[in-house]
Amino acid sequence: MILHTLNASPSSAAFTDCVSIMAKGDALVLMGDGVYAALAGTEASKTLQETDASLYIMTADALAAGVTNLAAAVSRINMEGLVTLTETFPRQQAWY
Amino acid sequence: MTAATKKTVLLVLRHSPYGSGLAKAALDAALASAAFDQSVDLLFMGDAVLQLQPDQDSHPLGMKTIGRQLASLPLYDINHVYVDAQAAARYNMDLSKAPLQTRPLGGHDMHQLMVGYDHLLGF
Amino acid sequence: MLCANAFDKEGFLCDLNDWNPDVAAQIAASENLQLSAAHWDVIHLLRAYYLAYDSAPAMRALVKYCALNLGPEKGKSIYLMSLFPGSPAKLGSKISGLPKPDNCL
Repeated sequence: MILHTLNASPSSAAFTDCVSIMAKGDALVLMGDGVYAALAGTEASKTLQETDASLYIMTADALAAGVTNLAAAVSRINMEGLVTLTETFPRQQAWY
Repeated sequence: MTAATKKTVLLVLRHSPYGSGLAKAALDAALASAAFDQSVDLLFMGDAVLQLQPDQDSHPLGMKTIGRQLASLPLYDINHVYVDAQAAARYNMDLSKAPLQTRPLGGHDMHQLMVGYDHLLGF
Repeated sequence: MLCANAFDKEGFLCDLNDWNPDVAAQIAASENLQLSAAHWDVIHLLRAYYLAYDSAPAMRALVKYCALNLGPEKGKSIYLMSLFPGSPAKLGSKISGLPKPDNCL
């Protein structure tokens, strides 16, 4: 399974490509401009939830962007949480 | 490096050839890996399919032509090249004219491909 | 005979188009090499490679390209070493007027 990191907004090709690859059992960490994909009630967050992957967001990046209204399926993590995830998933794919 | 510790690596290319330095960086990574006898395969995804456009000539830009450099990869024993079928269709590309022999894959097959490698490198 | 400023500081030709067989002989002489027919086969191949692939080959690709075009007995690194001692890809490119291979690993 794959740990994806997304660092680009939902209007980017990175987002589209990422979503097309994500599958159940994968995990996605939203960071940088990627955090906007977690906004509750958006098409983007709905699309992410439909992939059945586990969804995470970097707390600091979300706070910086003012992304506080998170879609229900998205969990906040800090740097330590990210490190833990990278230990769980041998394969990582960065989308930017 | 012994066979037992040899890792399989997939380079995941996602960007157009001349819009950034990423296509060149991926090419360099592929050639460097080959020099160290590391097995690398390539997946051209999204806009990276444009790197496979035939008849590129970037000399007017004062740059090397990515498409022609890619054509040399089989001489470095890089033979497994996969391409995002949907992206190629989006740009109405005839992959039989591409500088490399490729295998088109759908979204699900790309995921299956990626999980088969020890490491993924994104460009 | 090209003057010194046609070459970079390592002796590689600056402009691919300045090259001709006399220039090749000139570069070879500066490397203490006398060009034979066997050298010329490889030199022509290196120029063809550069035109086709927009890059100078590293050793691995040169060996394979020679095997494909000159036959398996000439597609061997030991054979190329005998013609262009030291680093065949680098020295061969130099004499062929190609820029220094940027992937000289």
